[in-house]
Amino acid sequence: MARVVIVGAGFAGHTAALYLRAQLGKQHEITVVNRYDYFGFVPSWVWVGIGHMAPERTTIALKPVYDRKGIALVVGRVTEVHPDERYVLVSPANRGGPLRLDYDYLLIATGPKLNFAATPGLGPETGHTVSICTLDHAVAARDSYLAQVRRLEQGERLTFVVGTGHPGATCQGAALEYISNIHKDLARRHLRHRAELIYLSNEPALGDFGVGGLHARYRGRLTSSEEFITAIYNDYGIRAEVQKGVRAVDEQRIYWEDYQGHEGETAYDFAMLIPQFTGQPIAYLGADGSDVSAKLVNAAGLVKVDATYGLDYAALREQPGAWPATYQNPSYPNIFAAGIAFAPPGPISVPHITPSGLNITAAPPRTGMISGVIGRVAALNIANLINGDRLAHHERMSEMFAACVASMGDSLWDGEAATIIMYPVVPDHRRYPNGTGRDLFVTHMELGTSGAWMKRLVHETFMYKFKARPGWQIIPE
Amino acid sequence: MEITNRDRFWMRCRPYQLWRFIVLNLKILKAVDHSKRT
Repeated sequence: MARVVIVGAGFAGHTAALYLRAQLGKQHEITVVNRYDYFGFVPSWVWVGIGHMAPERTTIALKPVYDRKGIALVVGRVTEVHPDERYVLVSPANRGGPLRLDYDYLLIATGPKLNFAATPGLGPETGHTVSICTLDHAVAARDSYLAQVRRLEQGERLTFVVGTGHPGATCQGAALEYISNIHKDLARRHLRHRAELIYLSNEPALGDFGVGGLHARYRGRLTSSEEFITAIYNDYGIRAEVQKGVRAVDEQRIYWEDYQGHEGETAYDFAMLIPQFTGQPIAYLGADGSDVSAKLVNAAGLVKVDATYGLDYAALREQPGAWPATYQNPSYPNIFAAGIAFAPPGPISVPHITPSGLNITAAPPRTGMISGVIGRVAALNIANLINGDRLAHHERMSEMFAACVASMGDSLWDGEAATIIMYPVVPDHRRYPNGTGRDLFVTHMELGTSGAWMKRLVHETFMYKFKARPGWQIIPE
Repeated sequence: MEITNRDRFWMRCRPYQLWRFIVLNLKILKAVDHSKRT
């Protein structure tokens, strides 16, 4: 009998738990430790954040699903991992004492720590900006947004700023989606003329998304994502300010530094800025109580896996094989990591250091679909080890496809969405020597109402999948 | 590149968008097939 502990029940952890249960007999124990007693469908929180979707439509209670599948659920936070003695300590949400969970295999899929503290004044709790990174944040963002709508209705003119709140932030797609939905919502309320919308980002160019941008055939010619997103923003009247690393925020202004090292500020009335993502604050302790975190995590607290670390950007660009394949920790072969929690070997987007030494680099996205795929790969590999086999499952981000549906209005009648399919996520210039590093037959960009239908289809099918209903494995991650 | 009135027409033309919806789903299935999915 093997005991598997999965830390986190987001896209990666929940997917992994379901696949593991499907692979392993009932004699094997699977325990999921999660901060909340529900799974949250993060991509739909952009709709929660403008009041277009009820929060409860984006969550799934975990206990009924896990009871049905024979998976144990512990609601709480893992505070310590003891890799030599193979146990974790959990601080339960019910305020009980620390709970010890012994494991034979551990999957760390915690999702990010939202590091608002890295940018003074950022965040909904101790700062001045809102966020849509958790369900509570999205609900607070909705309330703040609707308060601004009431001010607009009274004739005020307001500035809405949406984007990244740290020079090394990721998840630009969520920011794009949120500002596009604000545009559509205000247009529907006939208030758009009173609002200035600004997209403020650390990307080197619009449409970079932390993956270095992409090219696809659009209207019969090779078009860059920069041209594509610029055309959408021009059509929507959204002002884009890229190549900017936000350094601080106060009640009225956002302070940033640009690529050239110039410092500037942007005034705002409402701001939703994505924070830096780091690893969760977990102590990694050896048998003698010593700190063994250097064997497990990098400086940001993200778990080291089978990637080649330490390459500079130029070398990494030429070596897609440096990206991890099995998501197994090299020091502790019974520990795996998935989703945001694993440490990427470097950025996909072109990094930039300003003359003052500020590193403005969009971090690689590892959310949503990518998290789910990695969760599946890690789970199947753990099942291999339990069954006495070798690791048979490999999927690097340079071999993985991703689809991003950025909704621009949620209406099935007149909403639209930018649908972007890229393959592979990390460009492979050897396999695809066409200058883009991606398969131009599969890589695709499209804008239209079909995207809004796609987005709704994704929401409904994924909620079905994550409830582990019959046939859930057929639905791709 | 800019979004023209002609583009807007096609972006909201329901029969055409139904066709594009089918194409998008086929594209995703093709991408799933291309992906290693080991």
